[in-house]
Amino acid sequence: MDTRRDDVGIAIRSAFLDKGTKQKFSLFALVILSIICIFIETIEARPLNYLRSFIKDTIYRSSLIVSIPSKSLSGFSDFISNHINVYNNYVQLKKENEELKNNISNSNFLELENTQLRKLIEEQVSSESNFVSARVMLDKQSPYLNSFIINIGSNKNIKNGMAVLDGKNFIGRIVDVNFFSSRVLLVSDLNSKIPIITAPSTHHAILNGHGKDKPTLEYLPEHHNIQNGDKIYTSGKEGIFAPGIPIGKVIIEDNLVKVLLFSDLNQISFINVDLSSL
Amino acid sequence: MAFIYKQIKYKFFELLPLLLLFFISLNGNSIIDLKFFSVNVHFILVYYWVLRRPQTLGYGFIFLSGIISDVVFGLPLGVNALSLLIVAWVAAYVRVVTVRVTLINDWISFIPALLIANIIYFLSLYFSNYSIDYLFLFKNSVFTFIFYPFLWGFFALLLNLIKT
Repeated sequence: MDTRRDDVGIAIRSAFLDKGTKQKFSLFALVILSIICIFIETIEARPLNYLRSFIKDTIYRSSLIVSIPSKSLSGFSDFISNHINVYNNYVQLKKENEELKNNISNSNFLELENTQLRKLIEEQVSSESNFVSARVMLDKQSPYLNSFIINIGSNKNIKNGMAVLDGKNFIGRIVDVNFFSSRVLLVSDLNSKIPIITAPSTHHAILNGHGKDKPTLEYLPEHHNIQNGDKIYTSGKEGIFAPGIPIGKVIIEDNLVKVLLFSDLNQISFINVDLSSL
Repeated sequence: MAFIYKQIKYKFFELLPLLLLFFISLNGNSIIDLKFFSVNVHFILVYYWVLRRPQTLGYGFIFLSGIISDVVFGLPLGVNALSLLIVAWVAAYVRVVTVRVTLINDWISFIPALLIANIIYFLSLYFSNYSIDYLFLFKNSVFTFIFYPFLWGFFALLLNLIKT
């Protein structure tokens, strides 16, 4: 029995510590190195940040080159499917256009009313937009993190926490900044929690991502009167994002208040980063 | 001439697993995520080659490919590298204690590799304050186990090509 236990010990030690043929490092040394890497990730220091930025930028660029064949292949299949669906899109766009035409008169009136009310309360509205545009460099559709990489970083004064918009719609925030690239965490991600306000019901809540297309509203008041179609805007309560950035509209499904985003997160190629939001 | 051609062919087939390892890391294909199932090709690739022909995939390369995967997927540096090294370690252990090469032996011994690697993965993400869908992780482990024989067949074919 003792001999058998010894054999197991020897086998484990041999597998773990021996370098083996043509191996330059032992598994044990590399495991320790990995643990050190994980630990270092939690430390914020300028030299470490530079090193991290350098490693990440290099890997993103290499990844961009490696993914060229698969990207062009998927681009070709998109091109084919777009051609096939062109008539359906035309019918849908025509319908949407008519609806928008009907809504224009309503929104003009609301805008006028809004200006008059602001004048009445003598509010100073600062509407300085300080956007910087960027291209989506890598969108790897990670199963664990709903995020993508954009082609600007600290070289364009990007900072962690800045709001990212698709046109004028809020889609996420910056979570990782390198020299020439940054990572955008989308609102649909499990780690994304954004303070919002609903309109016209004016309830404050948290927009919580679940890794799927439709994030949900959490921490709503008990007797809320939210209805299908209510609009969702950033509340600006956390003091990071500007208030009033449109996000999406409410859909109530299975007693859950879900949000249908105004932007299709799978179809984003260019984004705006709000530099004034911090 | 024929000898040089043979040498090039041999080198190509020998390097293919390594090229595949880096390709899937850089291209973000280490986890194939389809509608109903997802498979961790990275784990299978590392497990098979460390078990059957360890000189093909160096541990240093496995570590590097894990770091690349971490960067591409936006996870803390070292998480994927650590779980891949754990898979490699179980494979190295199984190689030491087994004599006969059969699919069933490999397949069954792949279970502890998957379990330990995923526990390590879970713990490192938990301590790094990263939330991930744990149900997805479970589903991924199950389908990776189910999918193992298919890739085993493909890699066995490649291994035969290298040997011949």
